[in-house]
Amino acid sequence: MISGLTLGERQTAVCLSLALLVLGVIFAGAGQGDPLGVHGFIIAAYAVVVMGAVITGYYAPAPGADRLTQYYDDPTKFGIIVAMLWAIFGMFVGDWVAWLLAYPDMTFDAAWASFGRLRPVHTTGVIFGFGGNALIATSYHVVQRTSRARLPDQLSPWVVLIGYNLFCLLAVSGYLIGITQSKEYAEPEWYADILLVIVWVTYFLLYIRTLARRQEPHIYVANWYYMAFILVVAVLHIVNNLAVPVSLTEAKSYSLFAGVQDAMTQWWYGHNAVAFFLTAGFLGMMYYYLPKRAGRPIYSYRMSIVGFWGITFFYMWAGSHHLHYTALPLWVQNLGMTFSVMLLVPSWIAAGNALMTLNGAWTRVRDDATLRFMAMAAVFYGLSTFEGSFMAIRPVNSLSHYTDWTIGHVHAGTLGWVSMIVFGTFYSLVPWMWKVERMYSRKLVEWHFWLAMAGTLIYVFAMWNSGIIQGLMWRTYNDGGTLAYSFVDSLVAMHPYYIARAVGGFLFFLGPVIGLYNILMTIRLSRETAGTGIAEMPVVALKAGE
Amino acid sequence: MFTRTHYKLERHTIGFAVAIIVVSAIGGLFEIAPLFTIDETVETAPDMRLYTPLELAGRNIYIREGCYACHSQMIRTLRDEVERYGPYSLAVESKYDHPMLWGSKRTGPDLARIGGKYSDAWQVAHLYNPRDVVPQSVMPAYRWLARNKLRTEDLGRHLIAQRRVGVPYTDDMIAHAEQDAKAQVDPDSDNAEGVSERYGEATHVRAFDGNPRDVTEMDALVAYLQILGRLTDAAYQNKDKGE
Amino acid sequence: MSVEKRDPHTGYLTTGHDWNGIEELNTPVPKVIYICLGLAFAFALIYWLLMPAFPLGLTYTKGLLGVSQHSLIDADLQQAQTDQQTVTSKIATLSVDEVRADAGLMHYVRATAVPIFGDNCAACHGIDAKGGPGYPNLTDNSWLWGGDADAVLETLRVGVNDEQHDDTRVSQMLAFGRDGMLDRNALLSVVTYVQSLSKPDAGTVEAIGAGREVFAANCASCHGEKGAGSIELGAPDLTDSVWLYGGDTQSVFNTVYNGRTGVMPSWEARLSDVDRKILATYVLSLGEAGQ
Ligand code: HEC
Ligand code: HEC
Ligand code: HEC
Ligand code: HEM
Ligand code: HEM
Ligand SMILES: [Ca+2]
Ligand SMILES: [Ca+2]
Ligand SMILES: [Cu+2]
Repeated sequence: MISGLTLGERQTAVCLSLALLVLGVIFAGAGQGDPLGVHGFIIAAYAVVVMGAVITGYYAPAPGADRLTQYYDDPTKFGIIVAMLWAIFGMFVGDWVAWLLAYPDMTFDAAWASFGRLRPVHTTGVIFGFGGNALIATSYHVVQRTSRARLPDQLSPWVVLIGYNLFCLLAVSGYLIGITQSKEYAEPEWYADILLVIVWVTYFLLYIRTLARRQEPHIYVANWYYMAFILVVAVLHIVNNLAVPVSLTEAKSYSLFAGVQDAMTQWWYGHNAVAFFLTAGFLGMMYYYLPKRAGRPIYSYRMSIVGFWGITFFYMWAGSHHLHYTALPLWVQNLGMTFSVMLLVPSWIAAGNALMTLNGAWTRVRDDATLRFMAMAAVFYGLSTFEGSFMAIRPVNSLSHYTDWTIGHVHAGTLGWVSMIVFGTFYSLVPWMWKVERMYSRKLVEWHFWLAMAGTLIYVFAMWNSGIIQGLMWRTYNDGGTLAYSFVDSLVAMHPYYIARAVGGFLFFLGPVIGLYNILMTIRLSRETAGTGIAEMPVVALKAGE
Repeated sequence: MFTRTHYKLERHTIGFAVAIIVVSAIGGLFEIAPLFTIDETVETAPDMRLYTPLELAGRNIYIREGCYACHSQMIRTLRDEVERYGPYSLAVESKYDHPMLWGSKRTGPDLARIGGKYSDAWQVAHLYNPRDVVPQSVMPAYRWLARNKLRTEDLGRHLIAQRRVGVPYTDDMIAHAEQDAKAQVDPDSDNAEGVSERYGEATHVRAFDGNPRDVTEMDALVAYLQILGRLTDAAYQNKDKGE
Repeated sequence: MSVEKRDPHTGYLTTGHDWNGIEELNTPVPKVIYICLGLAFAFALIYWLLMPAFPLGLTYTKGLLGVSQHSLIDADLQQAQTDQQTVTSKIATLSVDEVRADAGLMHYVRATAVPIFGDNCAACHGIDAKGGPGYPNLTDNSWLWGGDADAVLETLRVGVNDEQHDDTRVSQMLAFGRDGMLDRNALLSVVTYVQSLSKPDAGTVEAIGAGREVFAANCASCHGEKGAGSIELGAPDLTDSVWLYGGDTQSVFNTVYNGRTGVMPSWEARLSDVDRKILATYVLSLGEAGQ
């Protein structure tokens, strides 16, 4: 992949990794006696690996000028593989913590292996590691194709990917050694947060520069969503992570806001991390790969518009539904609830637009597991947004909040929607990227689909059951008008569901393992055929030299 | 009409980006900014006290271990929660919490009013291995807390950082941070008096983990747990403050 | 280049764009969507009118219903109290024995007490109230502080060694070994003697004899001449086979060496008078069943 870079780019890459190395060494030295020092070493080691990779390929012949007539897909390929690795890692940890809730002694006397530290490893691993890499990789692909323009340079896509994965690595390793801000989905500490800001600005500039070069007068819907994802996540991330470090040589920081303001900021962020990371980004993905794979036009351009702006506007008001009945003022809760209800309409417009697009392609959905992944994803998207709007209604939330019902909702969204759209996308994209006719094994794709379906259904049904039982037990009154169950009673009742969830999760986890194998075998296939298989995607002539 | 305008907007990258920012910014501005301007949002509580350095360190351990992943610290305004956990939480009770730890999942019970509910010895035994005292528990065993000595030399810096974000620690408190942390677990030491002077008579000065000589992470965490819900009595008083 | 085409399947026109092969139909937004949007907005509008909703700088719209979160919950709690008034006032006025004599009330007491016990007491005394190391069994009719209703009620109200309550019961087993009051031999012999009180063959006659003297000089002031304990001091009866901290040699040695200060929290601030009475009644009824 280094061979694709020009000599100048290789030099800059070495310089950048050298700068990173210096930064790591400074951290390692200054942070002695603090967990920050450990992160210094990790940064330095990471920089060495990156630099090593660049130097190894340093003397490869420089790429010809004809590269400018082709799309730049190396970063996308890299992102796909990395996303799959994160999927396996994150889901493995997810299943591990699932078992821990059923058998808490299934651990050893090590701090890093305790539930409270592993759980954010899971959430970060899957959301940011798996989801984020999938989004970045596909966004590079989509923006080039829908703009008929090449990425403006070859280095910044790598800066984004390498920097972003360093962020994920710092996050995940940080929790294990006890570095966390405790803000859900924003746990990494100040220096990792700053790193992400840098990465994100680069990402935004890269995106917007590519769009600026487009040959197509109009910006396609998928890019609206990717842009919303990039822009809004930037705003959310910066505001929610405002904090004052204890010192520049310590990892710990204190958030700028406290109490109720902090809670609102956190869930304004938390909810919209769902909205713009787990939803908008993946809607962008869906809007490209689903019609492409189905070979059908988007059902309605007008619905795309209403859906997009509805989602962008309404979502941002909905965060306070995470704080119903709390010490947050009631007026904010009420805004959160009403906007969440209204939010259902644009959400279903988006889901409906996708499903209607499949009209005329249903036989393909039946026969093609890849397309079926995407169709199912749209269904689960509709389902989980319906569930979400329902749970946002105050009386419903009084039952569901704090319980496993939330966990069920989360995984209906993340397994059913996020993961399935990614898998469907990857199974379409991999043959295009490596220029082979199809995936190595269709049968394995079929297997993956059914494992994912079974896993999701078992997981979600187990959590619906346990969540609702839990919620009801907490508030059941006996005839005399006093509480009927103690907390521990409800805990005991959860046990069978926790086992069921862990089993379902294991099935789901097998999916990406099979998937990665299938992808690697496809790549091998492409090596054997030397990429002579036809590209499903016409390579459109680009204006050279741009 | 709308479609036509949009049709034009789609041709302008920057315009589109600006539109996204504007449309998405409205919600947050309406919901977050007023929380700083509407006085009623946070009740007043003249008796509100600050976390001692030891309790603050304990809070940081609570954060580090991810207790918030299973425990909420927010009793909602619902009858069953009030009956099970005590008076519903008020905003003022977490006004010095940077960050707040209200939580979003109750795999274990709410801890907003756990302070004083059990003895130190129980807390220690429970953290050491929850299943020793509650056989049905699924909570992890935190044995290392008893082994690890608490890092105290940087507590002054922690208080300074806290002051930067708005917690009214005094110079005196900052200067004595490390000393106070050590003294709080050693009621017989000469410095114990200073802890109560600086943080109030209600401050617990006890050998939380049973051993007054070493300050362990267990000491800090138990000290923190024992203060939860007891920084102010506001929630127990007659509330007539509206929201 | 935007040439509109008609999609043969749906019959709608495309917008005429083509993004790497993807086209879009210009299908109008179905009416039902506008209806749903209208309905959702109408719902929101009504809600905003009735309830607190929009911020206005230094205040917010209060809504026509004039409710606040606290007024709602406070009314709820008030209602709950009123609903239970008949039973709770009965329990409050009757004595524990009278409550226990009333089968109907006892049904209520049991149903109520079990979850309260589970949420507050079981952590220490166990879900079955049978206790554990350091935490007394409440079903065995062997009481540290007395087994009559008043004593139990008082224990619940003020706790034992709980610094939160000004009137707390105070009891302490001194650390004879750690604080250097007794040497190792004396300790070992008094341990043997204590064990012999409930198990006569616990040690050699000499050791027991030596221990008896140590005991008389150091322990009898609290545990009594015969070691039968003292309810005033909360000092356990050492002659029965019920052990709070364990009766094996090591445990007894630890007790005498390090001392013990069991803490039972006071519940006056946390549980209402009636709840505590219900618990006391329940706990006492357990002992009966266990007999
Ligand atoms: C895997 C989830 C989990 C994690 C992580 C966890 N707990 Fe718990 N916790 C529980 C459960 C379940 C219970 C109820 C059973 C019991 O009492 O052990 C509980 C009970 C408690 C109680 C007693 C509450 C009461 O009212 O009875 C305290 C105190 C407590 N936990 C503190 C902590 C602290 C401090 C941490 C972090 C160091 C922590 N927990 C981490 C699950 C967890
Ligand atoms: C933190 C642990 C803890 C909790 C929680 C607790 N207890 Fe206790 N309890 C104790 C200890 C320790 C003792 C013994 C005190 C002593 O050494 O005298 C005790 C003693 C008692 C006694 C007196 C026993 C006797 O022999 O005289 C009663 C009755 C009692 N508890 C009932 C309750 C009830 C009812 C609750 C719940 C509302 C409760 N306890 C909660 C620790 C606890
Ligand atoms: C100042 C009063 C006092 C004196 C003197 C005293 N004890 Fe105790 N002892 C207590 C109290 C109070 C307890 C119960 C402690 C608790 O509940 O935590 C107790 C508990 C015990 C126990 C534990 C009983 C069990 O069930 O586990 C033993 C054994 C014991 N004492 C032996 C002795 C011996 C031997 C001596 C003399 C060397 C002695 N005590 C002197 C007050 C005293
Ligand atoms: C193998 C599949 C998976 C398993 C077994 C699994 C398991 C778990 C478990 C056990 C928890 C903790 C629940 C609790 O605290 O009670 C959890 C939380 C979570 N998981 Fe997963 N998970 C899986 C896949 C995923 C994926 C793919 C995503 C996202 C893309 C995801 C996102 C989350 C999130 C966001 C939470 C936190 C939920 C909350 O705090 O409300 N999970 N998961
Ligand atoms: C219309 C769309 C949606 C609405 C209105 C909505 C609403 C909600 C509500 C009410 C909660 C529970 C909050 C609580 O009680 O704590 C919640 C939690 C959550 N939802 Fe959704 N949801 C929507 C869509 C989605 C989708 C598509 C996903 C995932 C892809 C998702 C992921 C999550 C996650 C991760 C949480 C857990 C947050 C936490 O850690 O507590 N949601 N959502
Ligand atoms: Ca952060
Ligand atoms: Ca959560
Ligand atoms: Cu949400």
